[in-house]
Amino acid sequence: MRGIKSFFCTVLLLTFFSIGAQAEKIRIAIGHQSMCTDTYTAGIVVKELQLLEKFLPKDGKYKNAKYEVSWSDYSSGGPITNQMMANKLNFGVMGDYPLIVNGAKFQATESLRTKYVAGTGYNLKGSGNAIVVPVDSDIYSIEQLKGKSVSVPVGSAAWGMLLKSMKDTGIKTHEYNLKNQSPAVGAANIAANKIDAHGDFCPWSELMEFRGTGRKIYDGSETGVPYLHGVVVREDFADKYPEVVTAFVKAVYEAGDWIREDPIRAVDLMEKWTGVEKEVLYIYFSQGGHLTLDPTIKPKWVDALKFNHGVLVTEKSIPALDFNEWITEDYVKAAYLDLGKDYQMEKDSLVDPAISNAKLPMEIWHSREGISSYASIDEFLAAIDTFRKTGAKLNATYVYDVETGLKLFGKTAFFVKTDSGFTTFLRKPDADNFASKKNGKVMDMESALATLAS
Amino acid sequence: MLEKMAFIFLTIRKNVFQWFAISFFFTVIYYMVLMLSLILRFGNLPNYVNEFNWVENVKTIINSTPSLLDTVMIVKDEWVFEIGYMNYDFGSGISEWSLFFAPAKILGVLFLGCLIATNYLLLQRQRRVCTDACASVSSAASGFGALCVALASITMSWVVCCSTPTWVVGLAMMGLGVSTSLWLEPMGLWVNLLGFSVLLGAIFAAAGRGRGASIILN
Repeated sequence: MRGIKSFFCTVLLLTFFSIGAQAEKIRIAIGHQSMCTDTYTAGIVVKELQLLEKFLPKDGKYKNAKYEVSWSDYSSGGPITNQMMANKLNFGVMGDYPLIVNGAKFQATESLRTKYVAGTGYNLKGSGNAIVVPVDSDIYSIEQLKGKSVSVPVGSAAWGMLLKSMKDTGIKTHEYNLKNQSPAVGAANIAANKIDAHGDFCPWSELMEFRGTGRKIYDGSETGVPYLHGVVVREDFADKYPEVVTAFVKAVYEAGDWIREDPIRAVDLMEKWTGVEKEVLYIYFSQGGHLTLDPTIKPKWVDALKFNHGVLVTEKSIPALDFNEWITEDYVKAAYLDLGKDYQMEKDSLVDPAISNAKLPMEIWHSREGISSYASIDEFLAAIDTFRKTGAKLNATYVYDVETGLKLFGKTAFFVKTDSGFTTFLRKPDADNFASKKNGKVMDMESALATLAS
Repeated sequence: MLEKMAFIFLTIRKNVFQWFAISFFFTVIYYMVLMLSLILRFGNLPNYVNEFNWVENVKTIINSTPSLLDTVMIVKDEWVFEIGYMNYDFGSGISEWSLFFAPAKILGVLFLGCLIATNYLLLQRQRRVCTDACASVSSAASGFGALCVALASITMSWVVCCSTPTWVVGLAMMGLGVSTSLWLEPMGLWVNLLGFSVLLGAIFAAAGRGRGASIILN
C-alpha cells in the first residue's frame, strides 16, 4: 500500500514539474512594409538578418520560452493597424500619419491601446515626400499647379505634405483638382502623362525619377515638417513581455549600424529582399541620403506628430490622441542601456542635410566598378564623359541640391554654369534665380556634359 | 401592423424558394458588380487571392479583446477572402486594388437581398394589395434604400497609406472626389441605417391594404 502511495506521489510530482518546465510559446508577429524605405530598419533588415532573434531574451522568465517570430508584409500602414487590432500582429512599423491613426484608433476603443516605442529614421525637413510631374511636363513649380489635377494617396504623409505645401503657396483647395490615387496608380498615370502631378511618399518619387517617367517639382523638405517613421506595439503585449519589446528596439539599432557600416552592401541586399532598385535605395541609405537612421524619440518628433494629428483631425475627423499616454521612451532607453549607448546624446543630435551634406562629394555608380566620388561638379562631369567614351554602363549619378542639401539623381538635377563652375539644384525656379544673380546659364546634365566638348 | 407583418411572412412562406433565390442571387450579383467595376475601372483582371482563417481569427479577437463592444467592432471588419490585382512593376509587388469579403458585410448584403426579395414579392401584380400609387412609391423607396445600403456596404480596398478600407474608399476608387469622400466617410453607419429604414418602410407600405382587397392570411 505504501509502495502504491509513493508511486502516485512520484507521478504527481513529476507531472507538476514537467508542466512547470514546459516551454512557454511566445508569438511575435510583426507587420512591416517592404515598399516603404524608411521602415526598413525595423522591417526587412531585422527580418532578413534575424536581428530580433539575436536579441530575444533567453534567461530569467524567458529561460524556457519558445519564440515564434512571423513577419507580414503590407503595402501600407492602414491594414497593419487593422491586423494589430485583431491581435494578429503585435508590432507595426509605419510612417508618421499611419502611426497617428494607429494610436488614435486604439485609443478610441474601450479596452485596447498601442505604444509608440521607437523611431526608425527621419528626415529633419520632410524629404521623402515629394510632388512629381511627368518628365516632359512644362510644370516646374508648385505655383503652376493652380487649376491642375493632382493626385495623392489621401491619408498618407504625402497627402499632409501636399495640403501644407498648397496652403503655404496660397493655392486654395478649390483651385486645384485633388484626386485620391494609390502610389502604383499614381506612378502609372505619371508615366502615361494622365495626371498633371502626383504627390507620394518614400521611395515613389525617386522611383519615378530613376525610371525616367517623373520629375520632382517639390520636395517635402520645403514644408519644414520632419518626416519620420516608427514602431508601435500592442500595450497588452508590451506589458506581458517588456524585454521582448526592448529586444526589438535593439534589433532596430543594430539594423541601422549594419546599413551605415556598408551602404552599398546594404542596398544591394535590400534590392534582393524588396525588389526596389538599389540605385533608388542608395539615395535614402547612403551617406548624405534622405534618411537619418535613429530610433530615439525627440521632442521635435512629438511636435511633428501633433501637427500631423491636427491635419488628420481637420481633414479626416480622426479620434483624439493622448500623446503622453501613447508615446513611451522606456523601451528605447532600456535598449540603449543594454547596448551601452548614450541615449541622451543621440536624442539631442539632429542631422540637417543642408548643413551636413554641404561638403559631400558627387558620386557615379559604375555598373562594374561600383561607386566613385568627386569633390567638384566639374570633375564629376568630366568623369561621366570619360566613362561614356569607354562605353561603360553607369547605373546612376548623384549630386546635391545646393539649397536643401538633398541628394539628387544627376539626370534630374538642374545645372547652372557660371564663371566659377557648375552648381546643382532640385528645382528649376531656384536654378533660374541663381543663374540670374550670377549671370549663369541653366541646363540639364546632358547639356552640361556637352559643354565639356565645346 | 400585426396584420401587415403576418401578410409579409405569409407571402414569404408561400414563395420561399423564389424569395431565397432572389436574396441569394442579389448577394452574388452585388459582389460580381463590385468586381466588374474594379476590373473596368483599373483595366486589370485579378491575379491574386488570399484566404483567411476567419474562425481562428475571430477566436483570437475574442480571447484578446477585453471589451465586448470592441470585440464586435473588430470582428465585423474581419475578412475571410480577398481577391485583387497585384502590380509587380514595383518592388516585389504592390496590391493595386482588392475586393474583400467580410462575413459581417456579406450578411448585411444578404439581408438587403432579403428585403428586396420581400418587396418584390409584395409588389408583384398577382398578389399586390396596395394601391398603384403606393406601389410606385414603395418601388422607388425600395430602390433608394437599396442604393444606400449597397453603397455603404462596398468592400473595396487599395493602397492609400492611412486609410483602412471603409465604404468611401470604394467610392473614391470609382472616382468620387476627395472632399466629398472625406465628408461622407463618418456617415457610413447612418447611410446604412437610412437605407434599411427606407426599405423596411417600403415593405410595410407595400403590405398595406389600399384598394379594398382583403388580405387572406391562410
